Amino acid sequence: MEVLKNLPEMDLMRSEKMTSVQLIIPVESAHRAVSYLGELGLLQFRDLNDDKSPFQRTFVNQVKRCAEMSRKLRFFKDQINKAGLLSSALPTMQPDIDLEALETQLAEHEHELIEMNANSEKLQQTYNEFLEFKMVLQKAGVFLVSGNKSYETTEGIELDDNVYPSDYPESASLLEQATHSGPSNPSGLRFICGIIPKSKILLFERMLFRATRGNLLFNQAPADDLIMDAVSSEMVEKTVFVVFFSGEQARTKILKICEAFGANCYPVPEDFTKQTQITQEVLSRLSELETTLDVGIRHRNAALHTIGFHLTIWMTMVKREKAVFDTLNMLNFDVTKKCLVGEGWCPIFAKPQIQEALQRATFDSNSQVGIIFHVMDAVESPPTYFRTNAFTNAYQEIVDAYGVAKYQEANPAVYTVITFPFLFAVMFGDWGHGICLLIGALILIAREGKLSSQKLGSFMEMLFGGRYVLLLMSLFSIYCGLIYNEFFSVPYHIFGASAYKCRDKSCSDAYTVGLIKYRDAYPFGVDPSWRGSRSELPFLNSLKMKMSILFGVAQMNLGIMISYLNSIFFNNSLDIRYQFVPQMIFLNSLFGYLSLLIIIKWCTGSQADLYHVMIYMFLSPFDDLGENELFWGQRPLQILLLLSALVAVPWMLFPKPFILRKQHTERFQGRAYGILRSTEMDTDSEPGSARQHVEEFNFSEVFVHQMIHSIEFVLGSVSNTASYLRLWALSLAHSELSTVFYEKVLLLAWGYENILIRLVGLAVFAFATAFILLMMETLSAFLHALRLHWVEFQNKFYGGDGYKFKPFSFAAIADDED
Amino acid sequence: MGFVITTLSFVAIGIIACLCARVCCNKGPSANLFHLTLVITATICCWMMWAIVYLAQMNPLIVPILSEEE
Repeated sequence: MEVLKNLPEMDLMRSEKMTSVQLIIPVESAHRAVSYLGELGLLQFRDLNDDKSPFQRTFVNQVKRCAEMSRKLRFFKDQINKAGLLSSALPTMQPDIDLEALETQLAEHEHELIEMNANSEKLQQTYNEFLEFKMVLQKAGVFLVSGNKSYETTEGIELDDNVYPSDYPESASLLEQATHSGPSNPSGLRFICGIIPKSKILLFERMLFRATRGNLLFNQAPADDLIMDAVSSEMVEKTVFVVFFSGEQARTKILKICEAFGANCYPVPEDFTKQTQITQEVLSRLSELETTLDVGIRHRNAALHTIGFHLTIWMTMVKREKAVFDTLNMLNFDVTKKCLVGEGWCPIFAKPQIQEALQRATFDSNSQVGIIFHVMDAVESPPTYFRTNAFTNAYQEIVDAYGVAKYQEANPAVYTVITFPFLFAVMFGDWGHGICLLIGALILIAREGKLSSQKLGSFMEMLFGGRYVLLLMSLFSIYCGLIYNEFFSVPYHIFGASAYKCRDKSCSDAYTVGLIKYRDAYPFGVDPSWRGSRSELPFLNSLKMKMSILFGVAQMNLGIMISYLNSIFFNNSLDIRYQFVPQMIFLNSLFGYLSLLIIIKWCTGSQADLYHVMIYMFLSPFDDLGENELFWGQRPLQILLLLSALVAVPWMLFPKPFILRKQHTERFQGRAYGILRSTEMDTDSEPGSARQHVEEFNFSEVFVHQMIHSIEFVLGSVSNTASYLRLWALSLAHSELSTVFYEKVLLLAWGYENILIRLVGLAVFAFATAFILLMMETLSAFLHALRLHWVEFQNKFYGGDGYKFKPFSFAAIADDED
Repeated sequence: MGFVITTLSFVAIGIIACLCARVCCNKGPSANLFHLTLVITATICCWMMWAIVYLAQMNPLIVPILSEEE
């Protein structure tokens, strides 16, 4: 026990020692101090203004301004994206721009941009109108020309089917131009030309017909080009129409209907020369507008370009400022209103660095008063902080996904680094597939620099983040593949000749009785003679099931040992005596004994049936073992182990709650006498906080908790051991899938002489291997190895109810936003 | 005999790996202890895997019976 206490600290084993600190910052250096602390990234501020709403806090205005600025920046980014420009950042670092100057600059840019956008929109609208006018002129002109003649149809004009001959007054030749504000003729046929989206034309026509009671002549023709519809801003097909009618009321009705349907009416002169004149004008206006629009777009793009240079820098600046003000909002003003008081957590090793940053801030802001930074006691438990590097980070995240370690409890990640890839490999074991995974992992690691700065999709990001996990997984897979002797399910004689041969020269009974073992066991791994034989599965199944049990018992014992290390660290002798010892006894007298039997059976080659042995150890322990006897003294040993297991159950269930109750009463019975106390509370300097520790000792709650814990362990020992059999199941599945693809796809295709069939077979084999075996099986084995760690390994010792250390750090904000 | 010899060679490889780790990345006592833990865990895992498969084949109860297609 002493040796274990004196072991040096291991790197990742327990959280860094954290301390609660208090900062007293004069107002003039507050902003700078918080910025420097943000760059350092090692202090987690506690929110002292938790109960206040965001609008009651001190720096709410600055936060609002920062939010407004970031909105403007997002607007710029949108505009740049819409214009299709590539954002290129200037590589030079600009000197610190003042926030107010930036604000005014951004406001200017935004104003300019909005103006330009509005102008170009107006221009675009006018352009569209003229375009429509041009089309109306083109098509309607044709109608009007024909309308001047008699009513027969002439070629080249598409008259609609439903042309309604109305009462044509005799003065049909006196067609008047129908303008919106033209002088109204008392009688005569008038017309309205316009353009309407093609989808609405039928309904429009019907409506007009009903409104004018059939007294109209309706012509239409589709427009040649697509036109931008102002409402939906996409290109639609439009149809030009001409409506001939008579009467003022009809005119108002028709105009109203046009408006309702979104048809645009244009004044077309019925005189041919005037038409050509107006067409010329319209065309010239159109070209003018085109150039103007062009110039406008180029001007806007230039403005966006200049903005784009600085955009990323500005965005980072604004984000940082907002973060600084958010943090400043967590601090409290003290009574004199001249200082800000903050509290937080920091690792003990970071204290000098923080001091240095604060001193720099005082100096840089020309403040007369230094910043006070001192250690303060805290009631709540500190956050957990592990210093990980690129390699261990992925494993720590895997462990944290289940639960963040309590402060200073043992971190399962230390062992997970090796056991997780190893258990993956036990389920994946094939050195051919392992080599493929290795190539993938090496590619990811080789392009580390390039890939880490890129923005990756979510799947690639996960894959990239786990590249070192993948590397270890592949290395262990190659090892396990060599042991299982599977290279894309094909065994090789890498480590020498097989240990089996035919009984006689003719190999006549190789197919009935089988080969014979004439040498020592194959030196490394599974003998290659097993593959393809009829007794392969019984042998391998037995081997893999026993292997799973052995690994399971080993990992669970490791878990219980880690709980012992935790008890020593926290000086919890109660846990050692009444939890660790009975747990070890229970697990090992049953499943440790099973593991021992497995090993003995293998070593002696006995024919004993282990199922029988284990079951009858419980059902009839005093019976004679007969042929199931593996070693001398087995029966008394089994009785002894059974008794120990039975004793261990109440040992872990009963004593602890009673002793806890006795300790509690001992500790607090002195309370009534004031100064006199039997046991001291730790970390207690102020008598005030001690009052918070006097909880009611709820005996029934503690007892039920202990009962649940014990039952969970006892029943869990059976279920967890059985759960490890998934190592067997998945490795069998992988091996069988691999065999099927090899024999039934590749070998089958290779059997034919045709080169095409061989290529097709090879392609199918490659695809099946890549997608099913490499991707699906990897994910599956990953998941199951993860479950084994999270549940079966960690429930022996892991609390996992801590919270993570989240320091105020600019680097973390940049990561968050992405 | 083969079992003991190979076990000893696993131990030897483990010790060499520890020394290599100490030589290559000597980053202070706590980091060294961490690397040592990793190497020892890996060695034990690999040895267990090999030992289980070897022991299972030392005195097998069944022998390979070739299948008809061969």
